[in-house]
Amino acid sequence: MNCEDYWNDLTGPEPEVDFEAHLAACPACTARYAAGRPVAANLRLLAADMKRVTAPPRVEARLLRAYRERYGQPVPPARELHRWWAAAAAVLLAAGALWTGARSPERPRVASNSPVAIAAVDEQDAAFVPLPNAAGSPQDDDVDLVRVELPRSAVTALGIPATDDSDSASVEAEVLVGPDGMARAVRFLN
Amino acid sequence: MKPPESDHQLFERLRAGQEQAFLALYQKRQPALYRFALQMSGSASVAEDITQDVFMALVRDECGYDPSRGSLAAYLFGIARKLLLRQYERRRSDVPVDTGGGEAGFAELVDDADPLADLTTRERVEALRRAVASLPRRYREVVVLCDLEEVDYAEAAVALGCPIGTVRSRLHRARSMLAVKLRDERHGGASVPAWKAARCAI
Ligand SMILES: [Zn+2]
Repeated sequence: MNCEDYWNDLTGPEPEVDFEAHLAACPACTARYAAGRPVAANLRLLAADMKRVTAPPRVEARLLRAYRERYGQPVPPARELHRWWAAAAAVLLAAGALWTGARSPERPRVASNSPVAIAAVDEQDAAFVPLPNAAGSPQDDDVDLVRVELPRSAVTALGIPATDDSDSASVEAEVLVGPDGMARAVRFLN
Repeated sequence: MKPPESDHQLFERLRAGQEQAFLALYQKRQPALYRFALQMSGSASVAEDITQDVFMALVRDECGYDPSRGSLAAYLFGIARKLLLRQYERRRSDVPVDTGGGEAGFAELVDDADPLADLTTRERVEALRRAVASLPRRYREVVVLCDLEEVDYAEAAVALGCPIGTVRSRLHRARSMLAVKLRDERHGGASVPAWKAARCAI
């Protein structure tokens, strides 16, 4: 192996030992290798700085939707419980919006087959019902998907009938929450 | 406490319809894939699309993952890379492979002092970020994988579809290129020629 082999792309299956042997025997390549060493140390700083960068939550929401389209709805896993707390404030706002929206006398009661038709729902979000306070919100900004429990009364007040036979006082739902913490759309799981 | 599940266990469970396993795998592997796509494309929206498409391939069971040929993580990086290459072809936005300089040998770069020694951490990070972004694609991808995401040479070789020796030599040359770029940026002018990049089919 010569210096050019060492530094250039080799297409054959070269054993590691050839590189080590060349490096050990060649001062020029050793020096050049050494020049890259402080760069490697600086790259660790950049790596640490980049660690906080991750995909926006809407990617997970979309993938989860696709996964459920393929495999169906799951039993809610226990590990999502902590997210319920994180969503608590947003949920209270959402439940409040549902409640006052349904109670205002000028707002017509909606039938279960045309639930809260405030805004057009794009095809991808077919299962999600947009919330009144989300009208005019951008369609594809930084949303998060959280699973929550809503009081059954808030749901029936919207004209959406209980679809299961249970008598529980709450209904499980998934809420798309915008970056402002406001719920954008809801999907009932029961 | 149970040991964390391997990627392969999560993969098997997600294919059995266990959403929890899919989410666990996504949360474990998404950040590095997103950052890889971000560094390679320079675009948050492209990185988002690539990340989504990589995992969509898992959802649809279209990824063709073969455990005998490497880890799932390497495989996912490989898919991301192929999708990125398709983007490059569409947008022709890659930095040209020509790195300047001619047949200059090694003597020009015998200084192993840190070219960023007198800068603050923040300034170093920003200088590095610019320098990495200006590397030709095939050097950038190996730096991002091996130095930024701490993928080992064997895994990187699977992701890049090339021999381990190629990963290694590209990485070393990439660091040398970065040293030159950083020095040039500090001292002005592209006075020091880089080692001529070899053409490679990969
Ligand atoms: Zn040499």
